[in-house]
Amino acid sequence: MTTTLVPAARRRARNSRRTAVAWLFLAPFAVVFLLYTAIPTVAALGFSLTDLRGSDLRHPLAVDFTGLDNYLRLFQDPTFLRDILNTGVFVAVGVPLTMAIGFALAVALNSGIRRLRGVFRTVFFAPVVTNVVAVALIWQYAFNAGGTVNKALAHVGLAGPNWLDDPHLAMPVVILLGVWRNFGTAMVLFLAGLQAVPEDVYEAAALDGAGRWRQLRHITLPLLLPTTLMVSVLLTVFYLQVFDEPYLLTDGGPLGSTESVSLYTYHQFGSGQLGMSSAASFVMLLLVLLVSVVQFRLLRPRT
Amino acid sequence: MSDPSRRGVLRLSAGTALLGTLALSGCGRGDTATATAKATAKSIDDKPATGTVNVWAAQGDADVLDKVIKPFKAANPDVTVKFTLIPNAEYYTKLQAAIAAGKGPDVAQFFPESQAQFLDPSILRPVPDGLVDSGAFFTSLWDAGLVKDVAYTVPWYAYTYALVYRADLAKKAGVTAPTTWADMVPFFKALKGAGAVHGLGADNGWDIFNGQDVAMYAWQAGGNLLSSGGSWTLDTPEMVDALKYNASFFTSGSADTATPTFLDAQPYFVSGRTATMITGPWVLGQLDTAAKKTGWTAAHVATAPLPAGSSGSVSFSAGGTWGVLADSGNTDASWKFVRYVSKPSTQVAQYSAYGSLPAVISAWDAPAVKKQPLLDAFLTQLKNTKAFPQVGTWQQVATRLGKEVETVAKGTQTAEKAAASIQAYAKSLGTGAE
Repeated sequence: MTTTLVPAARRRARNSRRTAVAWLFLAPFAVVFLLYTAIPTVAALGFSLTDLRGSDLRHPLAVDFTGLDNYLRLFQDPTFLRDILNTGVFVAVGVPLTMAIGFALAVALNSGIRRLRGVFRTVFFAPVVTNVVAVALIWQYAFNAGGTVNKALAHVGLAGPNWLDDPHLAMPVVILLGVWRNFGTAMVLFLAGLQAVPEDVYEAAALDGAGRWRQLRHITLPLLLPTTLMVSVLLTVFYLQVFDEPYLLTDGGPLGSTESVSLYTYHQFGSGQLGMSSAASFVMLLLVLLVSVVQFRLLRPRT
Repeated sequence: MSDPSRRGVLRLSAGTALLGTLALSGCGRGDTATATAKATAKSIDDKPATGTVNVWAAQGDADVLDKVIKPFKAANPDVTVKFTLIPNAEYYTKLQAAIAAGKGPDVAQFFPESQAQFLDPSILRPVPDGLVDSGAFFTSLWDAGLVKDVAYTVPWYAYTYALVYRADLAKKAGVTAPTTWADMVPFFKALKGAGAVHGLGADNGWDIFNGQDVAMYAWQAGGNLLSSGGSWTLDTPEMVDALKYNASFFTSGSADTATPTFLDAQPYFVSGRTATMITGPWVLGQLDTAAKKTGWTAAHVATAPLPAGSSGSVSFSAGGTWGVLADSGNTDASWKFVRYVSKPSTQVAQYSAYGSLPAVISAWDAPAVKKQPLLDAFLTQLKNTKAFPQVGTWQQVATRLGKEVETVAKGTQTAEKAAASIQAYAKSLGTGAE
């Protein structure tokens, strides 16, 4: 072993030099992380334990420490409980739908239409990189009472509703926008995973008489488990924090039917309830942590 | 733009925090500061203005101002007026940041319905004595710039809401414009009978604008949004009446909660899918375009003041105002610019160039304005308006009120509960002055 030949002092010097270089490269990220994530997170935890309101910023020292009071109030607030439920619906419907569409397209692109893969990949990925504000405006116009969707329905003799004003219909439209914006990411990740599966495994299975369905079930899906885990965690975190879509399309309405926890936090902040807003954001952080840990444990490949 | 110095960045951060705090806390007005402010408001002479005046305004009515003030520039050859027009949605944010950084303009435009946060001697200079005749303006517009009897802004243009309805359908139905709350739903039903799909094209954003509408109805019912002591009074029988009155448009079938968004409001009105709008005067200039026919508006549309509740036909005042910033280095020329813009002749020129309705009452006698009969109702209404509460938290309260309005209109909450809910919310926010 070569390392045993290097004198200990030289090794230590080299290691510390390496460590310094590593820190140097890490520094820009560390500074940004500290300033914009770590310090605000700690501050938010502190704020969440006080009765801080917008008007108190003038006398920050006069703010009272209220302990877990904000958290108790949150869980007694029917609006917050409703918003947790709404966020649950976003996750429960949005994640599987996005994954299913992304996976189906990835399989299709990986097998049948290889020559046009580049074109389709670009087409399907376009929603991911398109400006969400512009898209939301178009969706809003498409789904209003006299919008494109209802005009299309009118052609087949159906009278369309005002989608975004109906508490039962607004949520599906908002979720659909989320799915549309995200299935491209899922597709690209699944495609990368599929391309990493060796061809000879399929060839061997085919020689043994396995059909396409058996290949998918016994080769593709097990080998794609790490990718599936990553995609599901990414999407779950996204839908747990969903903000842009409900904010831009409905601002949480009608009657609060599309208000997510993020939007609740935002609305509380906007109305000067800084303590409550911080508590809500912390509950969300814990929720994201909890769900991610559970997912990692459930979907972790067993070795 | 040069790189901000470290001191500049610190000043910006501290200033933004301070201004935000002032905004949230109702500007922290002190009697001493106000008295000092009043004492420093020196009168402005008639000598020509000199130097540079930097003017910031929101895009829209100010787009044509550079042309409108050409005579001012000709009469004051040694003055340079530089305009910076900022998109409406970002206007206050940019202005606040600039003021906090000490890099604001000399003169800035404000909106009387939301300018309370700026009315402070540390931000704006008091209007000098004798600069303008305060009695020349619509009262509520002038009052919107007053704090403890000190005026900080000078009105520029004005608007308010009135009824805009399909005169042809009303004639066919044999009805005249409603004058009381009780007349409203029968009027809408008559218009429906004459061929309209809905009598009223209601705004269904369920936002600050709906909140403002209901606040206006509460005034019509005899209510006040703030007590004389300055605390919120939203849980009142008058507010309950207002919420019920607004909801009656929907529950009677006169208006649909699935009405069009703003993009469709005018095409719907022109096509007869809706027959009335409770709206501002700018709509009148846009209906010919929606109908794709010059003269359509004159032939099909009429206007009327808002129907009266038990306390009369009150509407709200809105528009534009001007203020000179405390940090301005050229206050003399700045005030001369504001004085010129508030002259009746300038306001008529502004109306001709952009359609901005004058804030000076006498300017409405000019032929250019007077020959527009559809504006008569707006003039009548402007003389009977109130300003929204001049407190820092009004916009948040109105936004929340808009959401409460939705629950009553859709029948998921009673008007009484909604009024109690908005009062509790407003009380938790305070007025910003405590």
